[in-house]
Parts: sequence; structure tokens; C-alpha cells
Amino acid sequence: MDNAPVFAVVGHPNKGKSSVVATLSQNDAIAIALEPGTTRQRQAYPLTVDGRTLYTLVDTPGFQRPRRVLEWLDAHSVSASDRAETVAAFVTQHRDDPRFTDECELLAPLVEGAGIIYVVDGSVPYSAEHEAEMTILRWTGRPSLALINSIGPDDYSTAWQAALGQFFQVIRKFDAVRAHFEQHLSLLRAFGQLEPAWESPLDQATGFLADQRRQRKTQAARLIAKALEDIMSYQEKRTLTTNQATETNERALADTLRRSWYQHQRRREQTLRVSVEHLYQHKRIQRQEAELEWHSDHDLFSEDSRRVWAVSRRYLATAGFGAGAVGGAGIDALTFGSSLGTGALVGGILGAAGSYFYGDRLALPALKIGALQDGLKTATFGPVQDSQFGYVVLGRAVDHWWHISHRNHAGRDQLDLAPADSHWLENLDRKSRQDIQRVFNRCRKRRTPDDRQRVVFAAAIEQAMTVYDDWRLNRT
Amino acid sequence: MTDTAIRLLLEFDDKVRRDHEQPPAFLHRRDRKYALDCQQRDMTPSPGHWLAHLERLSGQGGESVADAALGTWRRIMTGFILAGCALGVLTMLGLLFYEGGQRINVTVILAFVFLQCLLAGFTTLQAFAGWQPWRPLLTRFADQKSPAALGKLQPQLMARAAHIGGLAFGTCGLLTLLVMVVVQDLAFGWSTTLNTDSHRFLGLVQTIAAPWQWLWPGAVPDASLVETTRFFRAQTGNLTLNPARLGDWWPFVAMVWTFYVLLPRLVLAVIANGHLQLKARRLLNRHPGLTALQYRMETPALETGNAHNDAQHQPDTSTNSQLKPLPESDTVICWAGAGEPELPDALNGPDTLVLRAGGRASLQDDTLTLEKAANHLAHITRPAVIVVTRSWEPPTGELQDFLQHARELWPPTSHVAVVPLTTSGQEEPPTHQVQQWLRFTERLGTDFACVSLPPLFPQNPYRQGEL
Repeated sequence: MDNAPVFAVVGHPNKGKSSVVATLSQNDAIAIALEPGTTRQRQAYPLTVDGRTLYTLVDTPGFQRPRRVLEWLDAHSVSASDRAETVAAFVTQHRDDPRFTDECELLAPLVEGAGIIYVVDGSVPYSAEHEAEMTILRWTGRPSLALINSIGPDDYSTAWQAALGQFFQVIRKFDAVRAHFEQHLSLLRAFGQLEPAWESPLDQATGFLADQRRQRKTQAARLIAKALEDIMSYQEKRTLTTNQATETNERALADTLRRSWYQHQRRREQTLRVSVEHLYQHKRIQRQEAELEWHSDHDLFSEDSRRVWAVSRRYLATAGFGAGAVGGAGIDALTFGSSLGTGALVGGILGAAGSYFYGDRLALPALKIGALQDGLKTATFGPVQDSQFGYVVLGRAVDHWWHISHRNHAGRDQLDLAPADSHWLENLDRKSRQDIQRVFNRCRKRRTPDDRQRVVFAAAIEQAMTVYDDWRLNRT
Repeated sequence: MTDTAIRLLLEFDDKVRRDHEQPPAFLHRRDRKYALDCQQRDMTPSPGHWLAHLERLSGQGGESVADAALGTWRRIMTGFILAGCALGVLTMLGLLFYEGGQRINVTVILAFVFLQCLLAGFTTLQAFAGWQPWRPLLTRFADQKSPAALGKLQPQLMARAAHIGGLAFGTCGLLTLLVMVVVQDLAFGWSTTLNTDSHRFLGLVQTIAAPWQWLWPGAVPDASLVETTRFFRAQTGNLTLNPARLGDWWPFVAMVWTFYVLLPRLVLAVIANGHLQLKARRLLNRHPGLTALQYRMETPALETGNAHNDAQHQPDTSTNSQLKPLPESDTVICWAGAGEPELPDALNGPDTLVLRAGGRASLQDDTLTLEKAANHLAHITRPAVIVVTRSWEPPTGELQDFLQHARELWPPTSHVAVVPLTTSGQEEPPTHQVQQWLRFTERLGTDFACVSLPPLFPQNPYRQGEL
């Protein structure tokens, strides 16, 4: 598309122009600072689909000398009809003038036909000194939209709306750091409304962006599923000679293996974090999160500490019921149904009871020392035998995903992953619980799930993500 | 016997495995571009073509993973063929062992052929059921860890190797039989402990010979042959029998061997190969990597404009300048609406000259303000001017121009204190806002301007007294 719309994001210095561009272009590598003049040159951020540009956002420096520009324009214009040409003449004449570098940078795309996205900070009072720059923008004759961005906590947006209404066709509020994805799309659609020819590419763009978001959720679920499979089936191994086996204290060996086992699990979890962040194009996040670790030797999974990861004993009991029932149904199948379905019932009760009574404590992966073979013994630690561990990892992963998927690229704050405080997983449907539990059981036995099971597992995780999203939505 | 499907599966699996290291965005772009190229050329993308496309771009490099993995199985198959040949010769020699006293028992040969059929059937069943009872052996002796995708084909690969080995066994057995027929006079007979008569045995052999009855009638034993060639081990001799009749069994034996050892193995080897190729194709079609590839090829590659990276180019926010005490001054200039609606009392004395510039004022108004201030300052020995600004608004080029112009107009000893005010004017502005003004005066590069904080609102002494 040769005539893809271009939108120049312009305004007073330090009002969040780059933040708006960073969020809409999903780019967290744009320099954003509470310092005027962070942006010195215009920079184009095209949205392309298969190499075809649908629209381009242009980040620009802020106005530095708007009254002087306006004075020049006034002095060189005869009538309203020549105003756009006069602005173009100003840019041509002052291109090399260091006093007007910023003005030329921001006016050049408008002269070339870009639409105007004028950004103001709605958290500070309206100031009449913006009128000169708004007048210049009106002189360009380009379609325009004003964005009230809020950098600080105060709200002066009503006063801004009244003032901006005199200069701009459309006025929208948009918090570049906190706006939801739906608001991004809505804003882009509003860009499309500025000129009839822009409606179609912007509609297409929002369609692609919405699809991309859906696909990312599915991909994130797959990444989490793969990590869970790895973590739940991981076994730490050490090969010992006969001498080493006799000399080594079993307890010390168990400690060494346990430490390596945790280290590996933490590393795997971190890899998952980075993968999910990169999937959502967040490459510069600083994260703060409690480490995946036993708080004290054996009691991480006591009811209290488990609750903070959103896994309740009741949930585990119901998940256990599902898994047990599946096992029990196998008994029915083997007896050609002559057990009249009691297999499923017994299996379910056993599974539930096991999870309930067993739920107080995590069954640690035990140290196993194998038989002597070729003069060597193999000591193993893991895989973890308690599925609660998997639910904790799942809870943490889903929480991280949620924060990442809802984080705008203008955000520069540290990502603080505080533990969830509710049993959100209880809202997960029974089938998804069973699918998750089934894969956990396979991993525990070091049996690799087949491709079909993996697909079902990832779908169940995606469902858990939806449940978490709903829970967050209803909570906030 | 080509292994195109297996080779494709292995190459594809290996490529997918190597792609794990690549960023998903890159993979998406690469495969989407390939799909669009195919679309332009009216071609349907396929895994084979995709691999060829990537290989063409990367160039051929060393032994492929498929060659290495299939090489192991080729060696296993060669082993089976060699063993089959050797065993075929030895087995036939054993079956035809004739020390002159006893005849070669056709019943034993039939039993052995039946065993061969059973073994061939079991091998096929094993492949279809996916059993791998020989797996520990393979794990122990295999050169290297085979690719995971090949692991799923092992039952079929093993069945094919076994059937081809069986085919070699049968072929060499048949050739040995024919050689023995030529170089020796073989005396066949039939014998059994069971109390059966020759009619029933005739029925059995004629049923067995039914498949080639139309092809080679001479290879179907007749009643007289069956009747005359029965022998008992305890029997000392049959003088009435023509010894040449004893050799008449060989066409039957040769055909039994051909039809019940050689042909089943041939057919089952073909089936095993077909099954292997089918399974490889099915595995490829269900490969998670193929689903991902199809997704990448079908989904448009969306770039949101995140290629540009200037995160390293953050502005220098270090500040060397310090806040200066607010100078004694009776001249205050409110810049761009600062101090509206009213100045803090501490700045606005009864004799204070309050002027306005910037913001809504025109440039001519600014000049007038400067001139008025210049006139006022001309009569003061240590002239100082307070320029109040809105602390939250960034300093712009216009203020810079204004101060430079002021420096030119005002007496040389005069200086300016920039005082950033908050919205209420009653409290100190936050540090980050003060810092931007400090850096602004620093950039001006002279001592003409400095930054001072507004005087805090004085406490009400009467109120203090109340407390």
C-alpha cells in the first residue's frame, strides 16, 4: 500500500509523545525519560503486514519556539488558503537553522501529508501557551486528533477537552502506560476516522493486531505447557564410582542433588519468563519475583504458603478426584464394565482423598541410588512426585503472563510479581483440571506425553489463563 | 527401496529442532516470506519443498542427520542379510543332511516351513502393534542416540530389516536346495509317529501344493509317491522301491520353500516397507513442527514498528548546578502563565514590578516586558530579576531566547533567578522538576541565570501560638 496513512505524534516537549508511540508500536526500546528533548529527531514506526505498510507512526520532538514560528507564518501568509503552503515554506527555509530543528522535524511529516496526533498531558493544568503550537498545527490543514495522555496522578482533562475542542476534530483520552489493549485498538480506529481513505488500512491493522494478540495467548500457553512438562519430569542425575558411592554420605549427596535440581528448575522458569516476555515484544523488563524455592525445608506447600500461589487444598482434592476417576475408569475398561463403573468411583475417591490428606505437605523428590552397573552407580533426584509443585509453577507462570500481556510498552517501571491472593484456579472447568493433572501424572512417572496430550494440555493451560484473566477483571 | 518419506521426516524433525534456538519472530518472517513466494509462483508449499528451499539458501553442509540415522539402519539391515544368507545355507544343509542310512524327512521340512511362516507373521504383528522386545539390544549397540522421530519408526524399521533378512535366508536356502539336488542324490521320504495313513498325508501335501498346481503339476506329489516313500526309522529297508522315486520329492520341497518361505517374506517385506513409509508420512503430517510451520506460513507477519532501538540514547540527566538562594528583587516576570491567578505573597510585595511574558503573550509583548524591566533595573545597583515558571512545564527554546535577549538589554551586572512554581505555588516542586530547570540554566552556559526555590509559605505565628 503506497499511500498508507502516516500519523505524526506531535506536541509540547515531555508530554508523552514517545510513550504513546512506544505503546502503539509495541516497542519498549524507545527512549522515554522525564526530560524535555529526549527525542531529537523524528523517527518512523511503520506497522507492516507481510512487508506491506498499513500505517506509520512518526515520533517527533516537541515544539521549542512555536510563537516565533507562528510570527513567521503570519508574516508570510496572505490568506487562509495559503497557510499549508506557508508552513511548507517555513520548513524548507529553516531546515538548516539550529533554532528550528525541532519544529522542522515535527512539521516535515505534516507537510508530507501525515495526520496529526497532538499529545497533551491531562494531569497538569491547561496552559494557554499551547495555543501557538495548536494554531500552527491548524495551519497545516491536516486531519487531526488530540490525545489527552496522563503522566501524573492529577486530572485536568475536562479543562483540556474544552480547550482542545477549539482546535481538533477528535479528542481522545489515552493513558499510554495503563491503557488496555482494546483501548489501543479503539484509538487506532479513531485514527482511521480522520480521513475516509484511512479507515480501511486502520481497520485491517486493528484486525491483525487483535489476531496477533489471540495467537500470542495460544503461543504463551504452549510455552508454559512445555516448561511445566520439563519441570515436572526433570531428574537430576549423578554417576558415582563404587568408591565414591561408599564414601559419600547419602544425606550430603541428597543435598547436593537437591540444590542442583532447584537451580535447574529456577533456570527453566526464568527461560520461560524471558520467552513469554519476548513473545509480547518486551525485551527490557526488569522483574522482581520470589524465587521458586522451599521457604523452609519442607513446608512451602503448607496451606498458608500454598494459598499465596492460588492453589487450595480443595482445588487439589477436586483435581485429584478427576485424575483418580480417569485411572478408575481404566479398571472398568479392563473388567469390560463388569465392575459396573465402581472403578471410576473408587479411583476418584482415592485420588481425592490422596490429594486432600497428602495436600498438607509436599512429597519431596527422593534420592534414589541405582544398582551397580559397569562399576558405576547412578544417584537420581526427582522428578517431583507431588503435582502441587506443578500447580505452583503454573500459578506463577500464568500470573507473569497476565502482567506481561497487559503491560504497555511505554511502561518502564519494574515488574513486581506479587503472589496472587485467591484460589482462582478453582474456577477452572473440570475437564481442563483433569487434562492438566493427567500430564502431571505422566511427567511424574517420566513418561513423555504424546503430541495429542500435549495439545490438550496446552489448551487446558490456555483455559487457565482465560480464567485468571476473568478473575483479574472481576477483581479490579 | 527408497526412504524418501523417512528422510523427509528426519530432515524436517532436525530442522524444527534446530529452529528452537531461533527467535519466533524471525521464524515467522522467514516462513511467511517463503509461503508468499510460493503463492506468487502458484506453488503449493510442502515440507519437502520448504526444506529444499532452506537448504538451497544455506548450502549443503556435511552429512545430513537422515544419512547418519539411516546409516545405522542400513548396517543393521546388512547384518540381517548376511546372517540370513549364512543361516539359509546352513539351515538347508541341515535339513538336507543325509548320511545314507535315513531319508530326508519331508515332514520335518514342512514343520520348519510352518515355523518360518509363524516367525514372519509374528514380525509383522510386532511392527503393527509397535512392540520392541529387542530395544535394549539396539540401545546397547547403536552408535549414537537416534533422533526422536526415528524412535517412533523403530518397530517398522526392524520389521523391514527382519523380513529382508528372511528373504535372504529363503533365497540362499532355495539356492542351496537346488545345488544339493544337482550335486547329490537326495532321498526324501516322509515319516511321522502319528498313526496316520498315506491318504491323509497326501491330502495335506496336495492342499499345501494347491497354489502351484496350475504352474508346475510335477511339483505336486501323487498318491503313489506318498504311498511308496513313507518310511519308519525301525524299518531296515524297502527292496521293492525304486530309489529314483525318493528323489521325486524335490520339486515339491523347492516349491514349498518358494511359496511358504520366500514369497511370504517378499510380500511382508514390501508391506513392511509400505507401512514404514506410511507411518513416516503420518508422523510428518502430525509433527507439531509442521502445525507450527503451517501456522507461520498462513499467518501474516505483523511488524508493529519495534525495530528501532534508541533506548541507549537516554538524555544525560546529571546536574552540576546547585540551587541558589532567592535574590532580593522587586522585579518579577511571570513566564507563560506562571503565577496565575496570583503570585505567592513572598514574591509579590507592594513595590514589586510584576511583568508577564511567554505563553499567550506575543513576541512584541515579550520585548516590551524586557524593555520595561531594563528601565527599572537601570536604577538599581545590584539588579536581580525573578522569572517564575511553571515547574511542570519543560523549559523551551522560547525562554532561552527570552533570557538571551534580556542579557543583551539589561545592565551587565544584572542576573536572573528562575523560580519554578507548583500549581498551588505553596510547596516546593518535586526534585525531578527542579532538576530540569537546573539543567536548563546550566545549558545557558553563563552565570546570568540560576535556579532558586520559591520561598515557602510562612507559618502563621498566631496559629502557632494557639497550638
